[in-house]
Amino acid sequence: MLLAPGAVGNEKQYVGFATLPNQVHRKSVKKGFDFTLMVAGESGMGKSTLVNSLFLTDLYKDRKLLNSEERINQTVEIIKHTVDIEEKGVKLKLTIVDTPGFGDAVNNNECWKPITDYIDQQFEQYFRDESGLNRKNIQDNRVHCCLYFIPPFGHGLRPVDVEFMKALHEKVNVVPLIAKADCLTPNEIKKLKDRVREEIERFGIKVYQFPECDSDEDEEFKQLDKELKECCPLAVIGSNTVVETRGQRVRGRLYPWGIVEVENQSHCDFVKLRNMLIRSHMHDLKDVTCDVHYENYRAQCIQDMTSKLTQDNRMESPIPILPLSTPDVETDRLIKMKDEELARMQEMLNKMQQQIHDGKDQ
Amino acid sequence: MCCVGFAPNITFCIQEMKLISSFFSLSFRLVLPNKSIFYPPGMSESIIPPEVRPKPAVPAKPPHVAAPSPTAPHGPSGLGGGVGVDRVPGLGHSGGGSTLLGYIGIDTIIEQMRKKTMKAGFDFNIMIVGHSGLGKSTLVNTLFKSQVSRWSSGWGGEHKIPKTVEIKAVSHVIEEGGVKMKLTVIDTPGFGDQINNENCWDPISKYINEQYEKFLKEEVNIARKKRIPDTRVHCCLYFISPTGHSLRQLDIEFMKHLSRVVNIIPVIAKSDTMTPDEKNEFKHRVRKELETYGIEYYPQNEFDDDMEDKNENDKIREAMPFAVVGSDKEYQVNGKRVLGRKTAWGVVEVENPNHCEFALLRDFLIRSHLQDLKEVTHNIHYETYRARRLNDNGGLHPISVNNTQESNL
Repeated sequence: MLLAPGAVGNEKQYVGFATLPNQVHRKSVKKGFDFTLMVAGESGMGKSTLVNSLFLTDLYKDRKLLNSEERINQTVEIIKHTVDIEEKGVKLKLTIVDTPGFGDAVNNNECWKPITDYIDQQFEQYFRDESGLNRKNIQDNRVHCCLYFIPPFGHGLRPVDVEFMKALHEKVNVVPLIAKADCLTPNEIKKLKDRVREEIERFGIKVYQFPECDSDEDEEFKQLDKELKECCPLAVIGSNTVVETRGQRVRGRLYPWGIVEVENQSHCDFVKLRNMLIRSHMHDLKDVTCDVHYENYRAQCIQDMTSKLTQDNRMESPIPILPLSTPDVETDRLIKMKDEELARMQEMLNKMQQQIHDGKDQ
Repeated sequence: MCCVGFAPNITFCIQEMKLISSFFSLSFRLVLPNKSIFYPPGMSESIIPPEVRPKPAVPAKPPHVAAPSPTAPHGPSGLGGGVGVDRVPGLGHSGGGSTLLGYIGIDTIIEQMRKKTMKAGFDFNIMIVGHSGLGKSTLVNTLFKSQVSRWSSGWGGEHKIPKTVEIKAVSHVIEEGGVKMKLTVIDTPGFGDQINNENCWDPISKYINEQYEKFLKEEVNIARKKRIPDTRVHCCLYFISPTGHSLRQLDIEFMKHLSRVVNIIPVIAKSDTMTPDEKNEFKHRVRKELETYGIEYYPQNEFDDDMEDKNENDKIREAMPFAVVGSDKEYQVNGKRVLGRKTAWGVVEVENPNHCEFALLRDFLIRSHLQDLKEVTHNIHYETYRARRLNDNGGLHPISVNNTQESNL
């Protein structure tokens, strides 16, 4: 507690700004939160089931599964579902961005382009809004997190997985997941995770990194954080059907040889994913999106604009010109020097040629 | 008893059987029980096929009998009980042309052939196609209860995805009940793994046609080998990814292009990822889609010989594609050691019909239709190829005088 100046020695004066967090809390609760989650992966990976399980809703009630005839000419689409969820007075406007058709065709060249275009569009829209006159009610549609579903059937990342993640890792927080993990034994899951982790590093894919714990966090939190980091990529199973096991009713999948419980930590990492996504890192995901990805986009955008402007001899632009990043003076000078040198050498060469020519004539 | 089950099939392996079969109109779906087959000559009752005829009232004559006795032929079934000729016991035998007035012993030819093929052994070539990681090698190892896939032949542990589809054939000789089988497993790594998978079935199609061409060349040779080595692909197991939704584009394209060239048996891989309801729905959808696209998978409708075949095959077609799980590890379940996969919530038993349809696939592929697969390949697919080649060549043999003629595929 800070002593206000002029306070009498023993009397601790209470200023009261320790209540700031509460005030922020109250205001944000009133305002509500929003979160945009993108799910990407081939069809049949259990994306919709997982989303329904995570948020305990049924976002895909009216979905019609296409049969293969209809899917021949299908291109990758972007479909948004929005739902408002409220829990203990806190409102969340959740937007799920779905990408049906990804990776399903015979030729999947650049099938991630519609997705990167969509993400860029959202950034652009936000950029314009931010630079506009009336900034009161900016709608934030930027994608905060992208869950990428890796099939459990392979031996690691496939070429299409690598290309997709590389195209997106600098635009959005990519969280890789191993889908349908109930078809793998614990040993196989471990091997697959190790392989995927190693390949992610080898290909230089920058997946979302959990922030380092502050040293003053309690031990339990640190322990959880460490476990989470080691479990990446998370192996998940989704289900919204309730089954009865050991006297309890739980969400799970009923097989002839046993029951898979979605919320059992020894069966799959669903609980870890939910905790990470919703309970501990939702705000961090939003922060990283705003501070890193969006800023990258913005800087790139502005640089493109200003370089275009210098080419067009400084046209008038509605957007105020921000100070250019100062061109490297030193390099310019060097380049000039080299140019002059080259010009001199060329001259000498010409002279020599002329001399030889003259010499021949004589 | 660990038994794969291909031993009884050797009885039907020889070309000559075709002639004999038309003579006696034997049914080739007879599966002889796996009993000891050595018996002293003359005792024809020792072979007891399922449809056993009542024993002849007259005692069995020695094989070299020449003069028939006047009373014998019109009793019930003058022939030995082993042949199954269509005669109604008790009625006078009329017409038919197979009136024999005593026991000759023609039925022992089955036994002679059996002995011959036991010595010669036979070969079977199976191709496995599907995305990497669908459990193809494991399934083949489980099917033949031996380490026959290429991963077990000393390949390194690295599962690198090749840039184009490769064709890798590995042969093993496995033996059961005195019968030797040269099994060749043809693997196709790289299928469907790239970003752009257009025409990734071309190398496979080319390989199959090359094998037909090789056989054709041998057949057409002046000095032919006694037994032409058969490298033709008898069966292609196509692995469908268990997405639970429907067939993928690539699946349909592949099967459309290859179902007329080779016997395709679609299987649903890693089916322990689906609950029983999901499995049934998925199978139903896959069957409907195969029908929509006109993809004839083995056993093909058009090649059913008679009603009996048709009924049996209809039942199998209704149950296809088989949803399988493969494993080469054993676990203890209820006091028994079973092949399976152990997870945190239970053990998936590979041979338990409630868990998956592996047992059905194995019985179908090996115990009942192994020989038929070879016959369809030889009589239909190969003949189609041959006819096309001859047609292209104007009715002449493609390699008639000039042995160095290039084959144009």
